[in-house]
Amino acid sequence: MSKRFMLSRRALLGSGAALAASAMSAPAVLRAQDNKRIVVGTWGGDYSRLLAKNIETPLLAPKGWDVVKDEANAPPRRAKMLAEKTLRRGTSDVQGLSANDMFEANEQGVAEQIDYGKLENAKNLIPAMKYPYGIGHIYSGKVVLFNPKMMAAPQGFADTLDPKHGNKLGIIDIQYQYTMLAAALASGGTMSDFEAGKDRLLACKKAGARVYPSNEAFAQALKTEEIACGIMWKARAVQWQNAGINVETVAPQEGVPMYVSGFVMPRNAPNKAGAYAYLDAMMAPSAQEGFAVDMGYNPTVTNAKVPPDVQKRIGFTEEEQKRLRDLDYGYMAKNDTAFQEWWNKSFKG
Amino acid sequence: MTDAALARGPVVERRRGEGWTAAALITPASIFVAFCLLAPIAILFRFSLNEFVPSKKLMVEALTVANYVKFFTDPYYTTILATTVRIAVLVTAVCLVLGFPLAYVVARTQSRFKHLLIISIVLPLFVGNAVRAAGWMTVFGNKGFFNATLMGLGVIDQPLEIMFTEKAVVIGIIAVNLPFMVLSLQSVIEGIDRSVEEAAFSLGAPPATMFRRVLWPLALPGVLAGTILTFVLAMNAYATPFLLGGPLFKMMAPLVYNQFTQQSNWPFGGAIAFILMTVTLGLTLMANVIIQRRAAR
Repeated sequence: MSKRFMLSRRALLGSGAALAASAMSAPAVLRAQDNKRIVVGTWGGDYSRLLAKNIETPLLAPKGWDVVKDEANAPPRRAKMLAEKTLRRGTSDVQGLSANDMFEANEQGVAEQIDYGKLENAKNLIPAMKYPYGIGHIYSGKVVLFNPKMMAAPQGFADTLDPKHGNKLGIIDIQYQYTMLAAALASGGTMSDFEAGKDRLLACKKAGARVYPSNEAFAQALKTEEIACGIMWKARAVQWQNAGINVETVAPQEGVPMYVSGFVMPRNAPNKAGAYAYLDAMMAPSAQEGFAVDMGYNPTVTNAKVPPDVQKRIGFTEEEQKRLRDLDYGYMAKNDTAFQEWWNKSFKG
Repeated sequence: MTDAALARGPVVERRRGEGWTAAALITPASIFVAFCLLAPIAILFRFSLNEFVPSKKLMVEALTVANYVKFFTDPYYTTILATTVRIAVLVTAVCLVLGFPLAYVVARTQSRFKHLLIISIVLPLFVGNAVRAAGWMTVFGNKGFFNATLMGLGVIDQPLEIMFTEKAVVIGIIAVNLPFMVLSLQSVIEGIDRSVEEAAFSLGAPPATMFRRVLWPLALPGVLAGTILTFVLAMNAYATPFLLGGPLFKMMAPLVYNQFTQQSNWPFGGAIAFILMTVTLGLTLMANVIIQRRAAR
C-alpha cells in the first residue's frame, strides 16, 4: 500500500487545533460588530415588509441601528428559540409571536421579563397588551367571512360552522385553535372549554367542508369561489378586500375572540439594548398608524391616530367591542398538544 | 547513497510532509461528516429516548422507548408509514417504467442533439422542489390550467379534484424523481455494447426476449442505483406532499416536521425520524440483496 497519504497523529491534531482556533476567534470579531445590530425574528411577506417600512427605516435606521431579519413562520422560530435555550448567547434579539405563542414561550422559560421602565412609549400602551414577558404590537378579532354573492350574511359562528354549507365552508388548518374555539362558542362552550364544539366540526367535515393548509390558500379559494364562507381575522379580510376578493365580515354574535400579535425578547438575546430600542419604536404612534393603514390591524397604543375611514373598516363598533374576548392562554397552552392530536387524528384523519 | 541513508533522512522528511497533505485533504470532510451528520444523528437518537410533558411542551430527560411504542401501537402513525412506503414504491415503479425507454433512447441515439436531450432531462432539477410544487398548484387547482382546459373543451362540467389529493402528490414526486432514474439508467445502458443486443437479434431473439435475457440483466446496476435513489427521495419527500397533499394527506417527512415545530415534541419527532431512516435503509438493503441474488442466478 502506498504511504503517500499516511496521516500522522501529530498532523491530524495540528490541523484540528488550527481549525478550532479559527472557529473560536470568529465570535469575538462578530461581537464587536453586534452592538448596533438588532436581529428580528418575524413572519415573512407583508409583516416583515411593513416592519421595515413603518419601524426600521423611519425610526431605527436614523439612530444608527442595523436591523437583520430572520423570516419564518412562528413554529420554526419557536423551535429555534427552544433549541438555543441552553446557549449563553442566542441568535435573535426580538421575536414576533402571537399572544398565545408568547405565553408558551414564557412557560418554556425562553422569554425575558420586560422592564417597562426602559420603554418610553409604554405609557401609552393599552393595559391588556402589557404582558410581563412580551408586548402586544397589533390586534384584530376572529370574525366570520362570507361572499355576499354566494350567500346571505350569517349571524355568527353557529351560522357559519354549519354542515348546511357542505363543501362551501372553508377551514384553515393552521387556525385549528381558533376554529375549535369558534366551534365551541357556537355550541355552548366557553373560552376555557372547547369540548362542546368537536361534534359540530366533525359534522361540518362529514358534510364536505374543505380544509386549507394556509391563510393564503383559503384566500385563493374565496377568490375562485370554491368556498363561500369561513372564519378569519378581520384584518386579513380587510387585506383581501383590498386585493379585490369579494368578501364581507360579520362580528359573531357569540363573541369576537381577539388575536394579538406581539414581540418577546429571548432571555439570551445578544443585544438587549437593541431589543428595547426595537420594542419602543414599535409602539411609536407613527409606526402603529402605518400598520393600521397598511395591514388592517388595530393599534395597541392609545395615542395612535387612525383615519376615520380606516378605523371604520378595521375596527369594531362600540357594540362589537363589548363582545371582544381575550383568550384563556393558560387553558390553550395546557391543552394544545391534546387539541392537535384531536385535530390531526379525529378531525382531519 | 547507501540503503541505510535512504532509510533515514529524506524518507522521513518526505513522509512528514505527505502526512500534512493527507491531513489537509481529509480533515475538512471528516469534521463535516462527524459534526454535521453523525453528531446530530446521535443527539437525535438520544432525544428520541426522552419524555415529553404535553402541558408545558417541554422535553424531560429520560431513558424510555415509549415514543417508539407509541408510534407502532397507534394506527394513525402506522397508517402514515404505510402510506409513505406505498407512495415511494409506486413512484419508484412508475419512474422505472417511464424512465427505462427514455434512458434507452438517450443512451442509443446518434443524434447531434443528444446533449440537448440530456440537458432537457436535467433541466427540471435546476428548479427547487418547492418552486416546482408551486407550479403544480397552479395546474391542479379547481380553476387551474388542467381543469380550465378540460372544462373549456367541454370534456368535464365539474372540476376534477386533484389539488390536495394523493394523485397530486404522486404526480409531483414522479416529476421530481424521474430525472434521477433516467440519468442512472442512461449512464449504465450507454456502457452496454450495442453488439450484444445485435447478437441476440441475430440468434433469432424477439425484442422482448432480448430485453429480458440481455438488456435487463446488463442494465441491472443502473436499475438498482436508479430505484434506490428514487425510493429514498420519495420516502423522504417533504415539500411535494406538504404543498400538494394539503392538510388531509400525510407522509412521514412532514409528520417529523410537524412534531418538531408545531407540537415542540422533540422526543417523538426524533423517534419518527429514526423510524423513517431505519425503514428506508432496511427496505433499500432488502431490495439490494434481492436484486443482487437475482442477478447472480
